[in-house]
Amino acid sequence: MNGTAPASATALRRDRLAAWVMVVPALLLTLAFALYPVAQSLMSSLRRRFLGVPALGDTFVGLENFRLLAQDPVAHDAFARTLGFVLLSTVLEVALGVAIALVLHEQFRGRGWVRAAALIPWAIPTVVASQMWRYIFNDQYGFANLLLYRDQVARYEPWLASPAWAFAIIIFADVWKTASFAGLLVLAGLQVIPDELYDAAKIDGASAWQRFWHITLPLLKPALLLALLFRTMDAFRVFDLVFVMTQGGPGDATQVLQFYGYKTLFTEGRMGYGAAISVSVFAAIFALSLIYIRTVGSRLLGREDR
Amino acid sequence: MWCPVKAVPILGALAICASLVCHATGDETATGASAPTVIRFVSWKPDYPRAWDEAIRIFTERHPHLRIEREIAPHSSTAYHDLLTQKLKNRDPSVDVFFMDVIWVPEFAAAGWARPLNDRFTEASQEAFLPSTLEVGRYHGHLYGVPSRIDAGLLYYRVDLLRKYGFEPPGTWNELVHQATTILDGERAATPTLRGYSAQFKQYEGLVCNMLEFIGSHGGILIDEDRGAARLSDERTLAAIEFVRARLLGPLASRALLTYQEPESLAAFARGNAVFHRNWPYAWEIANNPDRSSIAGRVGAAPLPGSDGIPGVATLGGWLLGISSLSRHADEAWEFISFLTGHDMQRFFAREAGIAPSRTVLYADPELLTANPQWRSQAAVLHSATPRPRSPVYPALSHIMQRFFSRALAYPGLDLEPEARRAEREMNRLLDLTRSEAP
Repeated sequence: MNGTAPASATALRRDRLAAWVMVVPALLLTLAFALYPVAQSLMSSLRRRFLGVPALGDTFVGLENFRLLAQDPVAHDAFARTLGFVLLSTVLEVALGVAIALVLHEQFRGRGWVRAAALIPWAIPTVVASQMWRYIFNDQYGFANLLLYRDQVARYEPWLASPAWAFAIIIFADVWKTASFAGLLVLAGLQVIPDELYDAAKIDGASAWQRFWHITLPLLKPALLLALLFRTMDAFRVFDLVFVMTQGGPGDATQVLQFYGYKTLFTEGRMGYGAAISVSVFAAIFALSLIYIRTVGSRLLGREDR
Repeated sequence: MWCPVKAVPILGALAICASLVCHATGDETATGASAPTVIRFVSWKPDYPRAWDEAIRIFTERHPHLRIEREIAPHSSTAYHDLLTQKLKNRDPSVDVFFMDVIWVPEFAAAGWARPLNDRFTEASQEAFLPSTLEVGRYHGHLYGVPSRIDAGLLYYRVDLLRKYGFEPPGTWNELVHQATTILDGERAATPTLRGYSAQFKQYEGLVCNMLEFIGSHGGILIDEDRGAARLSDERTLAAIEFVRARLLGPLASRALLTYQEPESLAAFARGNAVFHRNWPYAWEIANNPDRSSIAGRVGAAPLPGSDGIPGVATLGGWLLGISSLSRHADEAWEFISFLTGHDMQRFFAREAGIAPSRTVLYADPELLTANPQWRSQAAVLHSATPRPRSPVYPALSHIMQRFFSRALAYPGLDLEPEARRAEREMNRLLDLTRSEAP
């Protein structure tokens, strides 16, 4: 540390090397488990390969699959539906997350328990939660119907048979499942806001609403943006809810891009086209995260620089 | 100082690689010379696991040099298809025997996954099977599967309710509507949850099976296989869909059918909530089982209705057993398949699990007929069932049809014809791809 100049230079070099050595395994793992599959999908998306039609061969077709995708009305529908899902679920989740975080931030008896309980939906595997909601909205024995119509069994509603309701229920189930995760991120943001600010505001006579609007919300921005980032990216990949609850139906009302890609790739055996769908989901998430990192990141860093 | 630091990950990586290699070779050496040959059988999760365990026990008892290793995939046909084709596509050599749904044979044959069985499945032995089940195992002149069980759509009905109102099982769909309406009017006060019809209208393969029956019995078809052209926008096809939308769904049947596969639709019927019910032969057993049904003993089965002058149509379903083209134990695999599809085992599964056998002679077996009296009337339906379109791209064609049918039923105001034409165009594009395949 306190050696002469050339000695510290070798020490620096040695440190660098050590750093590399330590990073390389992680890097290799990332390459093997993240980059390789992505690269592989990208390669397949540029080829035409249809398992049921081997006569078509396995040929390089450039961007042909993406050109077809751009003209595929089913893909357009699925894309629009996915965007709608992302928008609605993310906004609701973050809004609800703020409410949850505000409650969990308060001092009250049994707060530890409530905090743990709030995370239960998030801890349940999505497939299990989806199955649960499917039962709850069942037309014959669903709890939702029991709650609404009690013993008037003849009035029981087949919720998932209606395209609009099915879509709303998928969003509802996702919000239920992940609002607490958003809440956790927001809570972390709440906890770093110094209490003195509130005390000072109170002395100045600010109401609770004013304190929330002028202190909490602005200082919460980084945490909110982080929650938004995580939720948007995650929502874009929605699959299990649809797979378990509706299989994309009725009438494609809940068919999101990832499920369309799954059907194309795994059931239809259209390897190239299916890969092109996954790649476009990847590209959309990648673009979204770039935008977020640009805006959120600069804001986060900007605050630190000041 | 950093040398050991560098060595750790490398050693770690080496250790991981070494363990992988050891594991791989370990697997190989496990199948030594004296050990029995292992036949890997990828199966769906059976409805009657005990009958299957027993069958495999009998087989290994008679063939001590063979051991059956079962890999149980999900119960759902589509999930089983996706898992199995994933293995075959990745050229997994450990798969020997598998089931094929009757709609998969062209795909499995074209993709080179299933082994042609012509040498083993001789013409003499073929004669014992129902012709319709053999036909679905054929692709471009070769046989790829041995029929293991047969399925066909049937109309189940409430004997007590039909009798009460003086009805015989309906011969046409209009009669069915008339009977159900009359019965619902009469029973509304006593059973407010009673509906006229229960079937499988969820967006999945079963929807195609159900719609094929409506369309066929209105004189339409799904695909003109000779010309390789979809026929969804034909007048008769659209009339059949219109019948379901306007006269069944809503007035007679709950829209909940749009969320039903076989189990849910059967549950509604078995709970006494439907006058008529469309399902496969297995439903007889459950609907008449007092432990699982509140209408046991009051259930009848009949052929599905037709429409003025056109007979009813039953979709052909069922399972064939095939051998993977990469199997290294094809002879042993064939031994296993011959055993499962042999007279004794077909009889065993029919008796133990109520599964409709693929061998013709068993439909005249006195003991089986006593246990399954419904076979007497169903035999004709099972024998003349209509297969779904046969194409190596069937899964993709089916998705287009599922989307079209499901949209037609889910959106009552949807203008059918343009939607049908769009679906046809998509299907024809796929069919064109396979035309180059034809010999």
